[in-house]
Amino acid sequence: MLTYLIKTTESLILVTVILGLILAYSRNYFEDKGKRVMLIGTVLGVISSIVMSYMKNATSRIDTSWWNLRIFGLALVAFVLFLVFTIKKVAEKTGKVGAWIQWLALAILDFTAILYTFPDVWAYPYGFLQTGQTIVSTDFLYKFIGYLFGLILMFVFGLAVYQSAKRTDDKALSLVLKIALLVNAIRQLSVGLQIMLARRMITSNHTLFTIAKYTSNYSNVFLYGEMVLALILPIVLLIAGMHVNEPYENPAQKRKIIAKWRNTRRWAITVFVTLLLAIMNMTVVKAYDNREVALSPVEDTVVKEGAVYVSFEQVEDGHLHRFAYESESGTQIRFIVIKKPNSSSYGIGLDACDICGETGYYEKDGQVVCKLCDVVMNVNTIGFKGGCNPIVIDYHIENGNIVVPIDTLLQYEVEFKR
Amino acid sequence: MKKRSIVTLVTAAAIATLALAGCGNSATSNEATTNNEAASNETTTATTSTDAAVGVGEAAGFTEIPIFEDEEIELLNVSAVYFQPVPMSNGNEDITPFNLHLEADISALSNDLGYGVGDWVPYLTVDYKVIGSDGSTAAEGTFMTMSASDGPHYGANIALPNADTYGLEITIHSPEENGYLLHTDAETGPGGSFDTYFGNGNLVVSYEGWEYTPQEW
Repeated sequence: MLTYLIKTTESLILVTVILGLILAYSRNYFEDKGKRVMLIGTVLGVISSIVMSYMKNATSRIDTSWWNLRIFGLALVAFVLFLVFTIKKVAEKTGKVGAWIQWLALAILDFTAILYTFPDVWAYPYGFLQTGQTIVSTDFLYKFIGYLFGLILMFVFGLAVYQSAKRTDDKALSLVLKIALLVNAIRQLSVGLQIMLARRMITSNHTLFTIAKYTSNYSNVFLYGEMVLALILPIVLLIAGMHVNEPYENPAQKRKIIAKWRNTRRWAITVFVTLLLAIMNMTVVKAYDNREVALSPVEDTVVKEGAVYVSFEQVEDGHLHRFAYESESGTQIRFIVIKKPNSSSYGIGLDACDICGETGYYEKDGQVVCKLCDVVMNVNTIGFKGGCNPIVIDYHIENGNIVVPIDTLLQYEVEFKR
Repeated sequence: MKKRSIVTLVTAAAIATLALAGCGNSATSNEATTNNEAASNETTTATTSTDAAVGVGEAAGFTEIPIFEDEEIELLNVSAVYFQPVPMSNGNEDITPFNLHLEADISALSNDLGYGVGDWVPYLTVDYKVIGSDGSTAAEGTFMTMSASDGPHYGANIALPNADTYGLEITIHSPEENGYLLHTDAETGPGGSFDTYFGNGNLVVSYEGWEYTPQEW
């Protein structure tokens, strides 16, 4: 549940700020025709993102990197046009034509922001099903609830950014929007550079790769930059709200002014609260969600006659049990035993797999999970080779005991020395 | 009329952008040096020389990004590529923890073990190790055997979240370790022995200078 709450928040927070600012700007600055153009851009963006989401997940026709390059290219052209045609002198000189270009440029920025971000977010529920869950399973429900909370949180945050921005002084809004779009453009350029270098569309050199490396490893800077920008307008509003001195002619007008500023304060505070929740999701909640799972302790066994003996009584409860043999060099060679459901047979293997090494397995909700890669094992296939299954070991059954020869375990000592 | 010209202008700009975004592959070459610590193993240094920038799969959504290509060691031709993490059967459907799917394409060169030249070589244990620029191990493990739409290969989804200049070491064990047998009679046997190729230990292909940044897939 938490994983998808975090993923949805991380995916949407940047675009939410940009959309909130873009839509507030168009509401304050644009004529009705311009607002209609923005509406068309938004609707087209949503429809295109749904189509893209379907195409990415249900067909093999979409190469995401290529599409991202196209989207970035279009957005960068629109950004430059928007900047040029919002210069006062240019706007005055170009008149209606300039206004149309400004509307279309901002509508394209709106469209590309949605098309770039939302296809993956729409597809998260499809991702739940990929992991073998059905729509009616509890696991699916939990993940979906996390996803839904993330969507709701980001919607409220975006709405609060929009409501705060539209109440702000137009010059401040214009400046914040342009800086937000600039930060986004730099991010798009850096991601574009990473794609072009990886695909060798441009020849790599030390400088280019260094730029790509640092913009990739510190990509959160763009995210936090947009979050700081989202805070500026509510702060401006809160400060302005402390010094309200609007004239009024009667008590009704006074009440109206008080109500207006009360609403303004509420929206500003909503930005703070939702942003705080989002930051908590991306830090505290994420740290909790990614906390290391402690393996259950190694249980006692009898070591005799060159073998490790595990009695049936120890493992007949159907839960995962962990045992170990300590070699002369002090290496603990661990193995697991689990009684298979509706069966009298046991799944036995090393507490390590070929892919993930000796990180071990843990039991969660009746399932055996690899600690490193989170792959859920099919309990019935434990004891068989393949995938992330425990490494298969030799053993035999003797007088109500599972007997694992020490020589067998010592063969795998190197696995536990990594 | 004015409106029409505005729309035309912006449309033209958009089309030009799309065209720009869709063109312009350029060739590059990259050479590598290697150090191999396992003295008993046979080691080779991988070199990339890529006139074709990327190996585009049959479908648009499946583009293999090369790390190194066509490195020949003993009886094997080895290439390493990566692309988006992929869900796989047998409990490997969840791709959320991973950044990429690393793949080793291993085919046979001329040999006397009965493998057809150019054919994929089965029954290998293939270990991989990704080494960061600071010398630390960023990822390691053993590839799984699997089939994609372009055929069988050895590969694994791996987590590699940081951009860096990495080294990649691929260690190939003898098929004999996995119980692969050879006919030994003169009439039906291929005539060779695994010792000819693996007598000095595992085969190791090392590549340095893999400039990697995590991609949005």
